Amino acid sequence: MSGTAPARLSAEASRAIGPSGSPLRLLWRRFLRHRLALTSLAVLIVLAAAALAAPLVEAWTPLNATKVDLMARSAPPSWAHPLGTDELGRDLLLRLLYGGRVSLAVGISAALMAAVIGTVIGLAAGYFGGTLDSILMRITDGVIALPLLPLLIVLAAVDFTKLGLPAALMEGPQGSLYRIVFLVALVGWNTVARLVRGATLSMKAREFVTAAHALGAGNTRVMLVHLLPNVASPIIVATTLSVGNIILLESVLSFLGLGIQPPMASWGNMLTNAQELIYSAPMLAVWPGLLIFVTVMAFNFLGDGLQDALDPRAGEGHQVR
Amino acid sequence: MLSYVIQRLFESLLVLFVMSFVIYALIGLMPGDPIDLMIQADPNLTPADQQRLKALYGLDRPLVERYWNWLQGALQGDFGYSRLYSRPVPEVIWPRLANTVLLLGLSLLLALLIALPAGVAAATRPGSLLDGAVNLTAFAGISVPPFWLAILLIILFAVTLGWFPAGGMGESDAGIVEQARHLALPVLALTLSRIGGIIRYVRASMMEALRQDYVRTARAKGLSRRRVLISHALRNAMIPVVTILALDMGMLFSGALITETIFGWLGMGKTIFDAIMGNDYNLALMGLLFATVLTLAANLLADLAYAWLDPRIAYR
Amino acid sequence: MPRLLATLAAALFCALATPASAERGTAGGAGTLTIGITQFPATFHPTIDAMLAKSYMLALGRRPITAYDPDWRQICMLCSKLPTIENGLAEKEELPDGSEGIAVTYSLHPDATWGDGEPVTSEDVRFTWEVGKHPKSGVAAGEIYRRIREIEIHDEHTFTVHVDRVTFDYNDFALSILPAHLEREVFEADPAQYRNRTTFDAEPTNPGLYFGPYRMVEVTQGARAVFEPNPTWYGPAPAFDRIVVRVIENTAALEANLLSGSIDMIAGELGLNIDQALALEKRHGERYEFIYQPGLVYEHIDFNLDNPILADRKVRHALAYAADRQAITEQLFQGKQQVAHSSVSPLDTVHTEDVPKYPYKPDKAAKLLDEAGWNRMKGGIRHNAKGEPLRLRLMTTAGNRTRELVQQVLQSQWRQAGIDVRIKNEPARVFFGETVTKRKYGGMAMYAWLSSPESVPRSSLHSDMIPSEENAWSGQNIPGFANERMDALIDRTERELDPEKRKKLWAEIQQLYARELPVLPLFWRAQPFVLPTWLTGLEPTGHQFPTTLWVEEWGRKAGG
Repeated sequence: MSGTAPARLSAEASRAIGPSGSPLRLLWRRFLRHRLALTSLAVLIVLAAAALAAPLVEAWTPLNATKVDLMARSAPPSWAHPLGTDELGRDLLLRLLYGGRVSLAVGISAALMAAVIGTVIGLAAGYFGGTLDSILMRITDGVIALPLLPLLIVLAAVDFTKLGLPAALMEGPQGSLYRIVFLVALVGWNTVARLVRGATLSMKAREFVTAAHALGAGNTRVMLVHLLPNVASPIIVATTLSVGNIILLESVLSFLGLGIQPPMASWGNMLTNAQELIYSAPMLAVWPGLLIFVTVMAFNFLGDGLQDALDPRAGEGHQVR
Repeated sequence: MLSYVIQRLFESLLVLFVMSFVIYALIGLMPGDPIDLMIQADPNLTPADQQRLKALYGLDRPLVERYWNWLQGALQGDFGYSRLYSRPVPEVIWPRLANTVLLLGLSLLLALLIALPAGVAAATRPGSLLDGAVNLTAFAGISVPPFWLAILLIILFAVTLGWFPAGGMGESDAGIVEQARHLALPVLALTLSRIGGIIRYVRASMMEALRQDYVRTARAKGLSRRRVLISHALRNAMIPVVTILALDMGMLFSGALITETIFGWLGMGKTIFDAIMGNDYNLALMGLLFATVLTLAANLLADLAYAWLDPRIAYR
Repeated sequence: MPRLLATLAAALFCALATPASAERGTAGGAGTLTIGITQFPATFHPTIDAMLAKSYMLALGRRPITAYDPDWRQICMLCSKLPTIENGLAEKEELPDGSEGIAVTYSLHPDATWGDGEPVTSEDVRFTWEVGKHPKSGVAAGEIYRRIREIEIHDEHTFTVHVDRVTFDYNDFALSILPAHLEREVFEADPAQYRNRTTFDAEPTNPGLYFGPYRMVEVTQGARAVFEPNPTWYGPAPAFDRIVVRVIENTAALEANLLSGSIDMIAGELGLNIDQALALEKRHGERYEFIYQPGLVYEHIDFNLDNPILADRKVRHALAYAADRQAITEQLFQGKQQVAHSSVSPLDTVHTEDVPKYPYKPDKAAKLLDEAGWNRMKGGIRHNAKGEPLRLRLMTTAGNRTRELVQQVLQSQWRQAGIDVRIKNEPARVFFGETVTKRKYGGMAMYAWLSSPESVPRSSLHSDMIPSEENAWSGQNIPGFANERMDALIDRTERELDPEKRKKLWAEIQQLYARELPVLPLFWRAQPFVLPTWLTGLEPTGHQFPTTLWVEEWGRKAGG
């Protein structure tokens, strides 16, 4: 009990300062107090660094992520392959690193894209209200209800090059990656939109917004300069948390055969491929499963810590989705 | 307030109508039709058969015309036949909906039974060892890939220990015990993946409630700690929890898909997925519309709950 | 587990107490057999569509008029004597328009009786034909019905089929007949609604639908069907008191159900992937019997002959030489899945070994590619004089793990030959519904054909069968193979009645196919049967007629 008392005090203190004046230093201190979140951040940095270093590892060591070796399928760990090989004799460690690149890239970029879309829609709906709000929020409802699966299947057949996207991008080996990012962002923005709209609604009646108006600020300026910074914390928290969810979603899509396509590795498709051989080569499933688990958990802890730091009294209810 | 509800209901109906077309169009836009799939499975089909079947199934008509025909039928209560099960659509959907409700209901009940006390206990002793443990468990629950969890459960409980069947629905004449044994693993899998989120909602809103003035007042008045917890704090803390659970309704259908697929449980999630993959227009459409209705209803309820909870938000 | 033990004990007791009494109409008391398969039929109607899960289940309770036996010989099942020209039961006849047709006479088994006591008669056969040829009945494969001019009924069990052309398979009449006494009324009320209202789907447990050793007594849509002995069955009594067919689509879960004892066996027709079965055998080889039956599922890669790179036969040959298919089958499938050299199965009577073959010869592949102009190496990839890279797209069904494995190995092997192969996979319904049928796959498409014994490759190799905008994308000549010699061979083979001459034509088809190589043959997919060691009498067929057609020969070993 006693350990958390100062945290609550400082929370009260930050409130007294007012919504636009939270000192960063205080924020950072509150965040530091969150040991789990801090550990998570460290874990994520290590994972991201390792994943980014994958090509370097491949260049500097004899390991090879793409070379198929039919003589050494599902081999146990050895000097040549520190974690053994996968079902086609490729180095498991290196594939995990490359898979991490893909899984993290999908998670982070899709979450960011969704956050941008959601913020724009939420701000507009909350700020202007009225008919625009009604329309935007019904669209949001619709998108929540939008069936992800048929969308995915339809998009698997849509020729993206006809939509003006560069052919080299969509036709290249990473086409399935872009598809997934695009799609998840397309259906994933509604949480942020709802949060931002809610925050904007309760914020726009406050004195400082009225004051800004009185001083002659235009709508865009009020939204960007006065409202956005004040609704930033739920956006940051929701986005952090959704990174983890998207990584999980990617693994589920892989399970359904709609995820990242081979030979590109992602933790999701590695896990899916391993499930059929789970008795004979269990480690093939254990590693990607563990990495997904740790990463998602770290993002969740991080989001939790950020939430406590940014807005210690807010309910935690909004974030999961 | 009432006029707001009526307006929202009207809007929801409109959304539902639009969604029915969007879904129909989506399925229609999907490449290939049932006949194309049939041809792949049967090398004896000739081009003549192909033309004849497309005309018979009405697949040679424009999409809008097909939708119009479907809508006319649907408004009169005729939802057509399922291609994958050769039965009228409602006949396919009802038992599956019942199965899903049973599975989801049981797992939700179980999750609440565990999550409520755990969340409350954690909230009353923030920072304690117990709080840490509950928090960790909750996070672990929401971070596990669901199909991975399901397969681990099968390996442990069905293959290694042999306590429960690895999947299936149980024979209808096998009695309640046998049915329950078949339910055990899917319910467990779903509970484990749901419980983390609920614990976190309960803990958060309970902490919020405990900070409120009326709780402090009640304590000051000398009410017992237990009494304050249950009758004041918990009751208020439950409102946001219920709201959030309502919001998750639509996701549940798709969430159950994985569990249902792995355990061979015949529920809605799996039915919708199969219908989409198997190009079963009528079934996919109805299944998705069901999910849409649930989501819309839940959203409406959630919005009303918000309005009720936070009077600062004005609805016009 | 205790329940299983109890069942086993009971079965053991029964097996010891009643030593295989083959009394007609009563079951032998071998207890329950639970079979696991991976697919549930969309309809139980025998003729509306062709679905493996359906024929597997229905074969427990119904029999076609003729079939191929496990040794790939044509036999009578419901008929009593196979008609041939030699035994006089088949006779050529002249048609009103002057062309030649054939009249084939069959007699049904005299004791065949539907489960509700009605006899199986010629009228049922005639009714089945009427349904099949009706344009609105929804029967998918209408060709065999349209070719029949008339079915002439002589008596309750004898009838003559008049066919409008003479083909070598004139006595192949694998028709699964419908019970006219139950179905005629439904059909005649509204033929267009028949496919929705048929008794097979409205009431699949109606005993009047079955005349075989078993009949369906219970069904849970999507999950399982239960069969019990049919008292009106005319053949030897089946041993099992009850057969439960359970559907578990996820193969990992299917395996778990087997290991936990929830199912006794996994059907080879619709069961585990080959590498899964091999892994299972490694761990539990002593608990089950494993049979790998090479089947009629032909895994191959279609070359899109409209692609300028692949239009060059040298490139196609080089691709074949650069792919080590033997190593793939040995390493991935422990040699249990045979490398294919043409589209005709080695089990087929018309198969020939005398075809050009393409063993793994990287040097030869390199030489061919040099000759074809792909001789400039840049970054490990061959380029031609114009500086274009030798790049091809390879597509297959996403989520089919075995195919994806093979695909990645091939990609890696071709890469070593300087060929840049890009993988692009799609969900099955997109791949088959659009990409393959409309020939949009650009480079190479990897999938399988399900064939049948001695099936003339008209739809897949005749130049009339190339799908195009003009013919509304019908036909199955996906590579776009147009070869006059092949067209002629196909036409002649279909009409040739002399088995020896036909065999020669078949040999030439296979040689031409392997020489031109419009398709890269990969494997004959093996069906892995995982059976309990106590099961006797199950003999895998490898063709489209499932093992359940001989279910009355199955039994339980004493002490099992």
